[in-house]
Amino acid sequence: MNVIECRQLSKSYYRKRALQDLSFSIREHTITGVIGRNGAGKTTLMKIIAGFYRPSSGEVTVFGERPFNSLKVSQNMIYIDDQMPLPTSLTLLDILHMAGRFYPNWDHDLATRMLNYFSLHPEGRHHQLSKGQRSTFHAIVGLAARCPLTIFDEPTTGMDSSIRKDFYRALLKEYLSHPRTILLSSHLLNELEDLLEDVLLIHQGKLLFHMPIDELREYAVSITGPEKLVERVTADREIYHQQHTGSNVYTTVVRRDASILEAARQHGLETAPVSPEDICVYVTKQTKGRIDDVFNRNQP
Amino acid sequence: MFPRSDTTKPLYVQIAEWLENEILAGNLLPHERIYSQYQLADMFNINPATAAKGLTILLEEGLVYKKRGLGMFIAEHAQANIHKKRREQTLQLLIRELVTEAHNLGVEESELLEMIHQAITSRKDGSS
Repeated sequence: MNVIECRQLSKSYYRKRALQDLSFSIREHTITGVIGRNGAGKTTLMKIIAGFYRPSSGEVTVFGERPFNSLKVSQNMIYIDDQMPLPTSLTLLDILHMAGRFYPNWDHDLATRMLNYFSLHPEGRHHQLSKGQRSTFHAIVGLAARCPLTIFDEPTTGMDSSIRKDFYRALLKEYLSHPRTILLSSHLLNELEDLLEDVLLIHQGKLLFHMPIDELREYAVSITGPEKLVERVTADREIYHQQHTGSNVYTTVVRRDASILEAARQHGLETAPVSPEDICVYVTKQTKGRIDDVFNRNQP
Repeated sequence: MFPRSDTTKPLYVQIAEWLENEILAGNLLPHERIYSQYQLADMFNINPATAAKGLTILLEEGLVYKKRGLGMFIAEHAQANIHKKRREQTLQLLIRELVTEAHNLGVEESELLEMIHQAITSRKDGSS
């Protein structure tokens, strides 16, 4: 069963096109990583799915309904980011109690145990928390709500690496014990890839691909060796990335298949897997030249 | 305990190999229930879909069998079959790599055999 379906979904703000013709569907009980560069359209997409924004054209359905102004969607969905406007007059514990009244599956015991584990004071106030603590508190709300559709938009902003690891672990534990459909946006694909089932890569408002992470892990291969030889083996293939090391060592990244692996082996070239994070970086490269070029102004 | 050291292999293949090692070591016996995808996901901190893909490899190789509604169980001759497969495929592959590397380095046949012999001797000494 599909929880989310998008058909030719587009969104424009004034003249700027934020999303263009996105078509995809998300199956029930999957964890999908929504990946993309800054400004790619991740937040816009997820806020449309959450029912916060109306699409400019195309169609989106969540639990079979258009999410905008849908009671069904808002009952069954929670959207977590680092800017949740929570009341400053309530203590953290009060906020958790309030949240329990909004969400039917709320596990208050879990919420307070996590509050304690992450050393957040129950009598503390939301606006007094540091950036990382605020993200942690929001993440606790997102997990304890146990909503059938849980959307985390950059949930780990400001968290230190130890807390990020704990959060990912808690997310997996919760998902295993109480399966739900989860969207998780981040640009740190490396540290959350083990958690994901699918990856949705957005670039400049367009969908680049939507595939299982296990497929993405075997999507590309890097081939290293003497320049002439590497060029011969990878001729007439699309090259995602290339790099020279020293004077004669050359590396290219191309689509992985049996014939390229065999050709590389025959020529004694080194092959290595390319991480999902690296592939995403290669296919979404939008800057002109390299960062080094910024510092080499005087050179032709 | 995590098979992560060899990162050139896909995660689900590493899961399959870890399970094979458990069977090979006799930690999982014939007709015993193998870990579920959810147990593996919890143990290795990975998505259960990836764990399921690892289990599927064992199923396709006939090392485990399915009982409807009950999960997967170790096949009767799983240990012997893994043993045979490792001997015929994994070991042969390693030997070919060894011979190629020796050739690239200009190591003579007699020299290589002597090195292997030494490695066997020192392993025996180490374990006894």
